Amino acid sequence: MKTFLFSLSSLVLAMSLCAQGPEVAVDSGGVGTPREAIIKSSSLLKVNVTYQSFSPHIPWQKESPGSRRGLGVVLKGNEILVTAQMVADSTYIELEQPESGQKLTAKVKAVDYEANVAVLVAENAERAKGFFAEVKPMEIDTGARIGDGLSVWQIGPAGDLIVTPLRVSKVETAEYFVDGSVFLVYEGNGIIRTEGNSFTLPVVKGGKLAGLLLRYDSKNQVTTVLPAPIIDHFLKDTADGTYEGFPNLGVEFQLTLDGQFRDYLKMKEGDTGMYVSQVMKGMTGEKLGLKEGDIITSVNGFDIDSRGNYRDPQYGTLSVSHVVRGRAFVGDALKVTVMREGKEVVLEGKLARKNPAEMIVSPYRFDRGPNYLLAGGLLFQELSKAYLEGFGRDRQTGPILRLARLAKSPEAFEKKGCKKIIFLSAVLPTPSAQGYERMGGQIVEEVNGVAITDLTTLDEALKKPINGVHTIRLGEFPHLIHIDALAMERDNMAIITGGYRVGSLKRIE
Amino acid sequence: MAVSLPWAGMAQPIDLSSSVWDGVVNIDASMQVPDYREPWNGGRPTGGSGTGFLIGKNRFLTNAHVVSNATKLVIRSSNDPEPHPARIVFIAHDCDLAILEAVDGKHFEHLKPMQLGGIPKLNTEVIAVGYPIGGDRISVTRGVVSRIDFRQYSHSGVDSHLSIQVDAAINPGNSGGPVIQDGKVVGVAFQGYSGNVAQNVGYMIPVPVIQRFLKDVEDGKYDHYVDLAISDFPIENPAQRKALGLGEDGIGVMVGSAEPAGSGGKVLKTGDVIVAMDGSPVFNNGLIKLDDELVNMNEVVERKFAGDSIKIEFLRDGKKMKETVKLARFEPYVRLGNLYDERPRYLVYAGLVFQPLERNLMDAHSIQDPLVNYLFDNFLGDKLYVEKPEPVILTQVLPDEVNTFLTPYAHGVVEEINGVKITRLADVKAALAKKIGDEPFVVVKLMEVNRPLVLRRDLAEEAHPRIMKTYNIPQDAFLGE
Repeated sequence: MKTFLFSLSSLVLAMSLCAQGPEVAVDSGGVGTPREAIIKSSSLLKVNVTYQSFSPHIPWQKESPGSRRGLGVVLKGNEILVTAQMVADSTYIELEQPESGQKLTAKVKAVDYEANVAVLVAENAERAKGFFAEVKPMEIDTGARIGDGLSVWQIGPAGDLIVTPLRVSKVETAEYFVDGSVFLVYEGNGIIRTEGNSFTLPVVKGGKLAGLLLRYDSKNQVTTVLPAPIIDHFLKDTADGTYEGFPNLGVEFQLTLDGQFRDYLKMKEGDTGMYVSQVMKGMTGEKLGLKEGDIITSVNGFDIDSRGNYRDPQYGTLSVSHVVRGRAFVGDALKVTVMREGKEVVLEGKLARKNPAEMIVSPYRFDRGPNYLLAGGLLFQELSKAYLEGFGRDRQTGPILRLARLAKSPEAFEKKGCKKIIFLSAVLPTPSAQGYERMGGQIVEEVNGVAITDLTTLDEALKKPINGVHTIRLGEFPHLIHIDALAMERDNMAIITGGYRVGSLKRIE
Repeated sequence: MAVSLPWAGMAQPIDLSSSVWDGVVNIDASMQVPDYREPWNGGRPTGGSGTGFLIGKNRFLTNAHVVSNATKLVIRSSNDPEPHPARIVFIAHDCDLAILEAVDGKHFEHLKPMQLGGIPKLNTEVIAVGYPIGGDRISVTRGVVSRIDFRQYSHSGVDSHLSIQVDAAINPGNSGGPVIQDGKVVGVAFQGYSGNVAQNVGYMIPVPVIQRFLKDVEDGKYDHYVDLAISDFPIENPAQRKALGLGEDGIGVMVGSAEPAGSGGKVLKTGDVIVAMDGSPVFNNGLIKLDDELVNMNEVVERKFAGDSIKIEFLRDGKKMKETVKLARFEPYVRLGNLYDERPRYLVYAGLVFQPLERNLMDAHSIQDPLVNYLFDNFLGDKLYVEKPEPVILTQVLPDEVNTFLTPYAHGVVEEINGVKITRLADVKAALAKKIGDEPFVVVKLMEVNRPLVLRRDLAEEAHPRIMKTYNIPQDAFLGE
């Protein structure tokens, strides 16, 4: 609260200073006039997004809507580039001319939440013609390096351009918006002022797009930029109409800096490489034949040091993840050299991608509601990260800790042939569920004698009660419950129309 | 607004000349609170004051929490300024009771022991006598019996027994003091209600719990409460009742889970329906009829002692069964509660500190690690104690050049050392000494950490005395008495 007040007051101060002497700014800056001329034939549009996410715990409901305001960059073909974060769970997207205030409804053409990029197009091509008449597409420049001067563009209230210089001080890989998705970033120091549209600010180099603002840490004045190479990768992938996404290796690594650990691994003085500590099921690493305990010494011809870095021709020392993820496409050749039991082994294959939908525990979810099934008041859901994140950290006790742990290492369920982990998340009190109201958090193992491997098997199993009774076996206390099948059907009707007004008893997509 | 004073007529007379509370004494305790963060240290000295009362020749009853972790105890009676050294004879942390004796009992020979009464009726008046905060002399507060119920005893934090709620003011210092009705003790004041939601709520340990304690120690030692170690699941659902083969008479409660290491688990399993215990019917909601009153079914077990048996009638797959279960204490439960009068156990090796998972440890280290919290929170529920009766935590890494790369792994759960599975702290010592062939390494595997922690044995052994000295650790392990 205190911080908020502080930033608000400093903003007011900054504005009043501007008002006192605008001519001073022009004199001292000297750059205001010519740059503005470039922007007159603008490539920037304001983007206003209304979003509404689904409630992870009451899955048939949506949370109250909110709005995000940012800037979009017009690319060729009148496609507008924004961050994925900007359009996540969007219900209505609108483009706005910064000066005239003219508006146009838009929709998402393609989006990648891991790489955090999206392109928008006009909802109605006919209306778009006039809207884009004065707009000039921007080109992309992927050539930025450490030390290059870039500028962050913002638009003031009257369509005026605000330019903030930024020097690239570091290029590295860092986490983007979705948990665990790590990609290339540029990092620079500098102050960025707060404006009405703070999402998705373009970062420009010589009039071309060098990236989008990923985040700004006002405390340390660190600016992190989602760089052009990742945007370019996304655009190339979308160009053919089918989007494949970035490949993922599915391997966990450890550093090999610890001298005693190196001795244990029989690494000699001067040997480098990273230790493979886990190989995820069904992903590139496993398909390639990587094994736990391997020491990766080179990837696609790049030598790997003991921190897991290689020497990139453009950026210098950089995490190897950029080789197999950021700069590579699905289907690209992959050649990995490992030390295995003292011998050098060369593994060759192709880079692949495992999509979130194929994962037993969905890592993120946007634009669609959580899958669920309601039966006589019992609410069954798929275990997902979004569900667990819906609980604050301080509420992570007992059953939530257990579910979180299963989500982290679901191998046992994969082995049993589960496609998803189904659990009883809550119970809406109904007559047929009498006595079960306080239950929640139990894994569903078997219903009416059928093993439950996803919501579809559960849905089918609930159509076959035995002697008019459903028998549900759970992984945890109380392990066994029964429900009358007829009473359940009656309650299902009541759930839709009665006090709960649920609308639909299931969402299985 | 009522102006009448309904109490006036109902109040019991307080005979100031009587010696009813002559036997109520003040207990002054000096304590040493064990340090679970630096387990090799002696701990933090502190002190407290409570109340006790004479129940027999040189025998004073008080709360366990008044005298827990005591290094020195002194008793003072109300009409004698002299402090008299005292010591603990019996202490029961699971029901928060203790018996003390004066080192020299003759100072108290002239006092009359107090008599135990029964369970007081609701809305009858009681007085609490003791030495609470707010002054030095004896204090008397008055109230009525508000509720008689099963309730958690906060001293251990995991045990629940019968307790009686009164609205007499019970404040710090009252603990261990008698609650009196008609000249007889009907309870021992022991806890209040923390938080701002409730007012005028105090609790006392009722006579049945006191008597059980006194009977348990008759043989010269305290054997603790016994436990059936099952969780019952009320049968309220008609389909559940039908499927489990029950009638409409409201009899039978389902076993939701039975601890395999517990007394009940040897006979009962999930899905069984308990219909009677010791011949008394058990109802769908887990209540049992005893002496014509419906009480929690645990009450039957509560009255038993270690080694006693209980007859259980139950249905399995609709078939009637009858078994006798010998009752014992359920050990895995104990570490989930607060422990007292115990020296923290630990082992240090080359700066790696190993400690067993206990509530005291969780509190002292305020461990945030989700895996450790999962283990603690689901220790019984997921039957984790079966594989690891005493999970061992790498609580800290005392930095030194030998272990500097291992410091991020503090708060890990130890799975294996040198190929030996670690199930309790005592395993660590032998496992560390074990050599795998002529491998010059000590290899520690942590749960859910996919790389081994490796120390070169020669370097570790060279560093060990240095680290002990630097971090002022007098003894490299305490594995228990």
